[in-house]
Amino acid sequence: MQADPSDLIQRAQQGDQAAFEALYRAHVGRVYALCLRLTADAVRAEELTQDAFVRAWERLASFRGESAFSSWLYRLTVNVVFLSQRAGRRRALRLFTTDDPAALERPADGSGTAGVQLDLERAIAALPPGAREVFVLHDVEGYRHHEIAGLTGIAVGTSKAQLFRARRLLREALSR
Amino acid sequence: MMCSEREAQLNEYVDGMLAAEARALVETHLAVCAGCREAVAELRALVDGARGLPRAIEPTSELWTGIAGRIGKGERGKGKRWWRGALAAAAALIMGFAIYRLLPSSAVFYGPEVDGWAAAQIDYARATDELAGALALERDRLEPSTVALLERNLGVIDAALRESRDALTRDPGNVELRALFAAAARQKVELLRWATRAAT
Repeated sequence: MQADPSDLIQRAQQGDQAAFEALYRAHVGRVYALCLRLTADAVRAEELTQDAFVRAWERLASFRGESAFSSWLYRLTVNVVFLSQRAGRRRALRLFTTDDPAALERPADGSGTAGVQLDLERAIAALPPGAREVFVLHDVEGYRHHEIAGLTGIAVGTSKAQLFRARRLLREALSR
Repeated sequence: MMCSEREAQLNEYVDGMLAAEARALVETHLAVCAGCREAVAELRALVDGARGLPRAIEPTSELWTGIAGRIGKGERGKGKRWWRGALAAAAALIMGFAIYRLLPSSAVFYGPEVDGWAAAQIDYARATDELAGALALERDRLEPSTVALLERNLGVIDAALRESRDALTRDPGNVELRALFAAAARQKVELLRWATRAAT
């Protein structure tokens, strides 16, 4: 995780767009990955990434440094994704399937794990939305169930049930 | 094959969420159950795999230009994102339509399977769920005293809605009771719309 020089944040808070662009460059990969995995929709993920950064710009004044800027930004991103879905703007899902894996393709890292990771990414993308969202937030992003409940509006028990369901479906998919 | 009744327990075991006693019981079971041992190994591999996924994925398009265009137009501080207005308007439309459905003549449109009253309740639930969900994600931006007052008011309205619904269960054709329910439902949607706007 890249550290955010506090002067960049302060300058952005004062309206310096160049400073904000530097923050964007440092974090866009994480924000886009989060949007992509939560939605399984590359086009939508790009729209939501833009929405998240515009929202961050609007809210920068409220960032007081109690948490890391990255944590604040990623939480805000999750909010943007879920608010978007609740507002009924979700468009027809363009799920990643074997026909459309390109957006998750990355150059091989030479460790031999890229293929395994791609299989997992595809299996995650094919999960039902509720199970996928909880799995991404819990197992990929490291949020706890009570945090997921706060972010998404579901009960802690529902979060656990969706996680266990996601893991069951993923184990089945990956063992085929 | 995992023992299906142990799915939750094995997941919590893998997540390290079990207390010592429960953990020991699971380990006793694992010692004699090959299916659950295999499931635990798979769960651990899955969790490790998820943790090992790349944190960042670069978007294929250049997104900054669009962002710069939007923030350059001074979206900061306006706070009233278009979708919130759309959400509030949609909720108002849904409720307006729902109340229209409460009219006796509306049964013509819905037939015996889904009468106007049932459809109106579905519409009401959808409108309030969407607004309440949006508010839940933004409520930390309201003053605590405002949240407390909001919850008290919502509690009063919910009580009125419950009473109206109970009365309607006993007398489902009562037009006055339906009007009472509609009035309380309208109040709740209005209050949620106000709170959602206030939180943004």
